[in-house]
Amino acid sequence: MEKHEKLLNQEAADKRRKGKKPKTPNKLKVIKQYCKGCGLCVDVCPTGTLELVDYPESKFGIRVEVVAEDHCIGCQMCELRCPDFAIFCNYEEGE
Amino acid sequence: MRKYEKYIRYRTFPTPWCPGCGNGVIVRAIAISLAEMDIDPKDIVVCAGIGCSGRIPTFFNTNTLHTTHGRALTFATGIKLSRPDKTVIVISGDGDALAIGGNHLIHAARRNIGIKMILVNNGIYGMTGGQCSPLTPRRFYTETTPYGNIEPKFDVVDLLSASKASFVGRETVVRPKALEKIILKSFQHRGFSVVEVISNCHINLGRKNKLRDPIAISRWIKSKTVSQKQWESLSPEEKIGVYPTGIRNEENERMEYTDLYQKHIVPNAQAGLKKR
Amino acid sequence: MSKSQVLQGNAIVAKAALDAGCDFFAGYPITPSSEIAQIMSQRMPQMNRYFIQMEDEIASLGACIGASLAGRKAMTATSGPGFSLMQEHLGSACIGEIPLVIVNVMRGGPATGMPTKPSQADVMQARWGTHGDHPIIALTPATSEELYTETIRAFNLSEKYYNPVILLLDEVLAKAHEDFTVPDKSEIYLRKKERIKDLNMFDRKIGDNPHRVDFFRGYSIHMDGLEHDAHGWPTIDPATVDKMQTLRMQKIYHNLDDIVKFNTMEMEDADIMIFAFGISARAAMSAVEIARRQGIKAGLFQPLTLWPFPKVVLREKFFTRIKKLLTVELNMGQIKYEIERVARDDVEKKSLNRANGVPFTPFEILAKLKEF
Repeated sequence: MEKHEKLLNQEAADKRRKGKKPKTPNKLKVIKQYCKGCGLCVDVCPTGTLELVDYPESKFGIRVEVVAEDHCIGCQMCELRCPDFAIFCNYEEGE
Repeated sequence: MRKYEKYIRYRTFPTPWCPGCGNGVIVRAIAISLAEMDIDPKDIVVCAGIGCSGRIPTFFNTNTLHTTHGRALTFATGIKLSRPDKTVIVISGDGDALAIGGNHLIHAARRNIGIKMILVNNGIYGMTGGQCSPLTPRRFYTETTPYGNIEPKFDVVDLLSASKASFVGRETVVRPKALEKIILKSFQHRGFSVVEVISNCHINLGRKNKLRDPIAISRWIKSKTVSQKQWESLSPEEKIGVYPTGIRNEENERMEYTDLYQKHIVPNAQAGLKKR
Repeated sequence: MSKSQVLQGNAIVAKAALDAGCDFFAGYPITPSSEIAQIMSQRMPQMNRYFIQMEDEIASLGACIGASLAGRKAMTATSGPGFSLMQEHLGSACIGEIPLVIVNVMRGGPATGMPTKPSQADVMQARWGTHGDHPIIALTPATSEELYTETIRAFNLSEKYYNPVILLLDEVLAKAHEDFTVPDKSEIYLRKKERIKDLNMFDRKIGDNPHRVDFFRGYSIHMDGLEHDAHGWPTIDPATVDKMQTLRMQKIYHNLDDIVKFNTMEMEDADIMIFAFGISARAAMSAVEIARRQGIKAGLFQPLTLWPFPKVVLREKFFTRIKKLLTVELNMGQIKYEIERVARDDVEKKSLNRANGVPFTPFEILAKLKEF
């Protein structure tokens, strides 16, 4: 993992420490084969719900992981900022 | 299932772009706008030229056309004129719209033909390896400006306003919700509409200019763009190198080209009014 | 039988295009083909069809390709400098298998050359002007009736074979006003309303045409300038690319009987064959008449289809007994290399070439015939 990626994970941990958990739960869905591990969702998430993890199965070697779903406030910024349609927030199948 | 997913061609995924490239955000913003307007995908054609942004149409579940470099607007003009009731969208990058295709851009604006254009501005020629473009900021280092870029860049919004485009706006990929809103408005506009989308190319532009990862370059873009209100409160020195987002020009007085053709030329021709 | 009228060559081509069902014209004015655009600008809106004057020739051909993909029969008209600009999009139309008609009224070249003088110097460019391997059909009418019938045939061939067709005229044929009677009703080939299975548009047997659909026909198709597979998706797989290149070339070369057309004059018992097309053929026709009266057994082979070159018919029917060949073309020598390669080694070959803007007269051709 590169330096800026480790920094992202640290910032996410900081956000989790400072923030409060929301009352209503929210669900996140990650499509691992589309994720390229760019880290934009981790950066843009206001509550530190997401972090980057090593993922040797993909050619990028890294992907996003939902580490604290109970912190998710359902703002959908991760889904909007993701360039690869790899993460969805409160996605209802068959909507 | 999101409403916009019927406009996405999932069988062509995953996308070929670098991790973090803004093109994917543009795909989603366009798909959301099309879903909002509820147009049948079979009545839409998305055209593009050459470059990384030229691969954007591949991911739409509509008719798609990948043309020669810089000439997407000409193909779109032919399609729009001969099928005025269809939706024609053109996606262009830096070189496609302003270098080789600069001439077609100003003529399409002058004609006010009902093509919806998205101009993806990432400040570089990404696909060919990172050469400078007409939109590369000054003093930046690229593959063909190893000593720093000495050419100033176009202000796309100024250029198009001067060419009398009837809808011109600018947004960035860093603000996806605002991007959706402005693209929706541009699609709803009847005449020629252009939205310049400032996108991030950390691999080719950022690599030589200390903006190597998507987070750093996104923050840099955010620092260089301000809203229209903030722009007005800046001093002239602060305005250098900073760009206002939002709709610059939106006018509906001029008739769209194909409407004018049907309402003026065809009736005159058929009434036997010859040219003088 | 309609009555005869005096019409300019450009006007005959425009009339034939409208009769063939051309419903989109995008052009840029250039001497000597501007009249076609002017007539189209008047007639197209009258017939509820589409005309636009684009900002340059590159844009004109781009708009024509767009309109052809949207289901219209599209056409443009230009001359040498504009034709050079159109080459990239010509290749695009070849790889996308898109029907298109381009009228090239050849003038003195190269570069700006002599805008008001004729030449026949774009014939090699019509075949290989654009980069890459591609098939092309080029037609060369000579008389005013052929201007009409060959234009209609150009549209029919382009629709049938999904390929651009180039109609080669020259400045004299285009600008001369001649007596013209519309021939009896010609057959117009309508674009096929294909139905495709799972978007497979380009796969077919060798020699067949693609069953490609246009936009807005109920399918979401992808058209590309990149090399593609049967569905139109870009690919670089060697086996697929080889197959696609072969299919594109062979759709023309397997159907030469349908595409190749030519006229002959007094060739049954001729000793000397004159090979000429376009304005040179007009002079050659008179030269053959005068020569015959003087006892010289000359005959004329006038190709109406210049590309693909009528090699097979020449080798099998004419070069079995013809031993003397005269090539007449208003350029410094282009088609002569092609026909001299086709002719046998024991054929005596002469040629009349010049590119100074003065068409050959029948007496100049007769003088050369006497040198044999």
